[in-house]
Amino acid sequence: MEFAGLSKLYGPATVLEDVTLRLQPGRVHALMGENGAGKSTFIKLLAGVVPADAMTVRKNGSEVTLRSAADATAAGFRFIHQELNIIPQLSVAENILLGQDMPVRARLLVNWTELARRAKQALAALGVEHINVRRHAGALGTGDRMLIKIASALVSHDGEAPPCLYVFDEPTAALNEAESEKLFAVIARLKEQGAAILYVSHRMEEVMRVCDDVTVLRNGRHVTSVQLAETSREAIILAMTGRDIANGFPARTAHPGTDIVCEMRDVSSATLSKLNFTLARGEIVGIAGLTGSGQTELLRLFLGLEKQTGGTARFEDVDLPSSPSEAWSRGVAYVPQERRSEGLMMHMNVRLNTLLPHYTGWRARRARENIRTVELSKRVHLKAEGPEQSVWQLSGGNQQKVVFARALGSIPRLLLLDEPTRGVDIGAKFEIYKLVRELSEQGSGIIMSSTDLPELLGMCDRILILSEGVQHAIVDPDGMASSDLLQMFYVADRMVTA
Amino acid sequence: MKSLLISLAVVGLTATAAFAEKVTVVTPFLAQPGTQAYVQGFEAEASSKGWDVNVVDTAGDVAAVISRIEDAVNQKVDAIVINVDPAQVAAGLQVAVEAGIPVIGMDAGADPLLVTNVTSNGYAMAAETSVYVANRIEGKGRIVMFVFDAFPPVQVRGVIADAVFDNHPDIEVIDRITPDVQDGGIADSRAKMEAVLAANPEPGSIAAVWAAWDQPALGALQAIEDAGRSGEGIVIVGIDANPQARDAIAAGGNFEASVAQDFQGIGKAAADAVARAIAGEEIRAKVMYVPTRLITAANAQQ
Amino acid sequence: MKIANFRQMGTLLGLLLIILFFTIQLPDTFLTARNLINVSQQISMLAVVAFAMTVVMVMGDFDLSVGSMASLAGIVAAVLFALGYPLWIGVAAALAVGMLGGLLNGFLVAVVGILPFVATLGTLTIFSGLAFFVSGGRTIFGRDIPASFSGFARSGIPLDSIGLAGLKLPFLSISALVVLAITWVLLEQTTYGRRLYAIGGNREAARLAGVQVTRLRSSAFVLTGIGAAAAGLMYASRVASANPTQGAGLMLDAIAAVFLGMTMGKEGEPRVLATLVGVLILGILDNGLTQMSVDSYVREMLIGAIVLVAVATSSFRRSH
Repeated sequence: MEFAGLSKLYGPATVLEDVTLRLQPGRVHALMGENGAGKSTFIKLLAGVVPADAMTVRKNGSEVTLRSAADATAAGFRFIHQELNIIPQLSVAENILLGQDMPVRARLLVNWTELARRAKQALAALGVEHINVRRHAGALGTGDRMLIKIASALVSHDGEAPPCLYVFDEPTAALNEAESEKLFAVIARLKEQGAAILYVSHRMEEVMRVCDDVTVLRNGRHVTSVQLAETSREAIILAMTGRDIANGFPARTAHPGTDIVCEMRDVSSATLSKLNFTLARGEIVGIAGLTGSGQTELLRLFLGLEKQTGGTARFEDVDLPSSPSEAWSRGVAYVPQERRSEGLMMHMNVRLNTLLPHYTGWRARRARENIRTVELSKRVHLKAEGPEQSVWQLSGGNQQKVVFARALGSIPRLLLLDEPTRGVDIGAKFEIYKLVRELSEQGSGIIMSSTDLPELLGMCDRILILSEGVQHAIVDPDGMASSDLLQMFYVADRMVTA
Repeated sequence: MKSLLISLAVVGLTATAAFAEKVTVVTPFLAQPGTQAYVQGFEAEASSKGWDVNVVDTAGDVAAVISRIEDAVNQKVDAIVINVDPAQVAAGLQVAVEAGIPVIGMDAGADPLLVTNVTSNGYAMAAETSVYVANRIEGKGRIVMFVFDAFPPVQVRGVIADAVFDNHPDIEVIDRITPDVQDGGIADSRAKMEAVLAANPEPGSIAAVWAAWDQPALGALQAIEDAGRSGEGIVIVGIDANPQARDAIAAGGNFEASVAQDFQGIGKAAADAVARAIAGEEIRAKVMYVPTRLITAANAQQ
Repeated sequence: MKIANFRQMGTLLGLLLIILFFTIQLPDTFLTARNLINVSQQISMLAVVAFAMTVVMVMGDFDLSVGSMASLAGIVAAVLFALGYPLWIGVAAALAVGMLGGLLNGFLVAVVGILPFVATLGTLTIFSGLAFFVSGGRTIFGRDIPASFSGFARSGIPLDSIGLAGLKLPFLSISALVVLAITWVLLEQTTYGRRLYAIGGNREAARLAGVQVTRLRSSAFVLTGIGAAAAGLMYASRVASANPTQGAGLMLDAIAAVFLGMTMGKEGEPRVLATLVGVLILGILDNGLTQMSVDSYVREMLIGAIVLVAVATSSFRRSH
């Protein structure tokens, strides 16, 4: 399968220029590049949702035209996006067979047995047997939702070519380790069945593990296509960024102070218990654990959104803030996990998104606000047209930088980071790490929750391991590997459940 | 040659249009049957006079009536006809008077800013029904009245009935009831009448029911029939002669009479008044009455 | 960028085309100082309700009760006048009722968490019932309304000095301009306005960024309630009477005006100046079409269609 000479212009801006990609059945091909490199546009052209300015697609030597989404489906292309648009009110089976003619009985009534059988069959093809297809899809976890989306992609309509190409767009962005493992098993299975797979991801570890070949884009151009066995992690990063940042984490240049920012003694809430730790000025404490172990709730204790029910909690020698507004005014800054739903007002401009928590007094002066926004944008290396640009027009990495610019609005005394680099490309990730480091050196106490284990190990002074809301241990990451940390999660989990 | 003819024709057409008198009718109540009848009567007369009539309905919005009067003044129409309380649209009337455009009321209410108001005579209607009752019961008996003094056009009816009954020494008004009209007035009048019947159980203790409009009369009729007292010869009368009342009267039961306004006639008379005003004639009568008609079983279905 | 600007300007262009059309069709009467002053007075009440509505719509909320609040405020003032209270007490009480009604809306929406559509539909009925109850269902007019109150709507500032002999700038128009100025400053020049827009952008994100969402939403409904009450007073003054249903027509037109205005927002957000354009479109269509003797029902259909075309064009361009 070959995609040749893809070009796309948006107004005067060239987003993709003469990119060529060859995919082979039974191989997983990684598509990598920083945000804004043109990966998303590439996928949109393939899916037929955006018309290409130039594109030739050949399947087994014969040419295919892609003018609409229906063309792409008919050609056997299947797309699995990071946003899992399932319909929570419907059953798993209905979600899997959505868009198909329902099997009917007596010409009118839905044949639920047949529906369930077909859905089960689709899941079985992925080697998935633990999902009850009659359950409501809304009750499923993120990982299982991903699996039903894949199963749904697997089902072909009458008269269509069977699927021959699967495109995964950042599939693990919302998955935890265990769920990702399940996904990788499914990908391996699809590969065995002889499908070609295009895998788009930021996560280097994952790509190294799952993929066979890699193509790197930079600024809309094709940089390299190579077998992964013949290249290295460093070489790929160099190709993506055009600069050498192979050592992913900026080094610490100062040591944490001794002033205590916050202190927790036997603190508990509805979901958390036995929290015992202190955070010093300039210190970064990581929060780790299996997904849903109470990481977000722990951060929200400091925003008054998770109510403390027991123990002694002190933030700068007084009680914890009782509301987000009090928290911000007392110097707490928060970078929430879900950028789109909790972090940003997507259809508002950079200025409002950046300055929102920092407005004081009644008068709003646009000129001053713009100056302040530009100042903060510069500090986070934001690439935007200016303070008036709408946030949705920015790439994911730049959107995250806006959230950080907001946190920098006043030098925070306590910075709460929830998955600070999720869905952010390597270059932007490094810039965010530098910022976090910078803030800690200026004396901010930082609590950072992440499922990206190398990130925790590379950035934190100490890591607190949570399991089902219970503090299991605090460890010193020095000399630890991701696998050691993962090992501890499972040990902790077993101890708590036992 | 041909094009010359066409342009002549066009000039001719515009000329006739320009000479036709323009009259704007503004009402917030076009959805109501009475208003529709006025407007039909008006339009029929206006078309025979060759006028260019524009009917504007503001769908219940009284402030919009003022706005549309202002627009019509601005458009320099020859006359304006309103069907709304003139006191509420005085702001618009003032503008018209200043521009020298005559405004005629069509069942609107009297107002110094109107050239004249064409309507039915409420006093006369009430006199017809109350006298009918007094004569039917031969000047003696106990009577129940349904009135509504909060609404001026209905209030005047009550005043006349009071005077007529007062003038008969053997007529006693045993109750003067103001029903709740939120639901149209029938249901509450019926409930009130049931209470009166309960309080006066003796046959013949109630001689008649006089209602200032049809709805209470219908409610009273229902109460009497339901109480099984329709055989006592209680005389019921209403005013307005709406279709439901006509049916009841035609059936020949206790509901014996009502008075019909001539809505079409009001429309026609309003058009005549407009014609006089446009012609520059001074109209002395601030209110012009169009005759009404007593409806009984004899003529109820006409 | 240019395309976006064109889309934003489309509605304004539409207004100019409408004005041009009427100017050609009605050369003698449309584009005259007298008529324009008339229009400004005719739209003043709708404008005030629409400006007030903009405040809640900025947060992505709705207030369906503005119309019945306007009726209620007029009734409250008129009943107090009828009982012999002085002018200022009637006016102050009407505005206070607007404030309380807004507070009730705000409480139901922001504190209890009922959808604004449902909550304000409920209060619409309550306010309307209250207006009937207080007035006994009748229209209060005539001697009960002090001349100083109805005189307000009939007077203005004489414009003889600027060469418009015999004309005056009506107090109603001036009132609408004052409300416009207040709303503009509030929404565009204060941190309060910024926060309201943030709530409209993403309520949860705004809350997590320290915006006191509950308090602000309640307060915005209070402002809308006061605006609706002010419009109700203007209406009562103009018709020199108060009727328990007289404001009912204002609500839908106000929402239509805000929607028309939203087609001009960069991201489809309501802006009070854009709402003014929406109000002008509705008011000028009403005025011009009446002058052209277009049937009032045809006029209604036409206005509905124009609102739909404007909003549809805007959403179509946005999604493509």
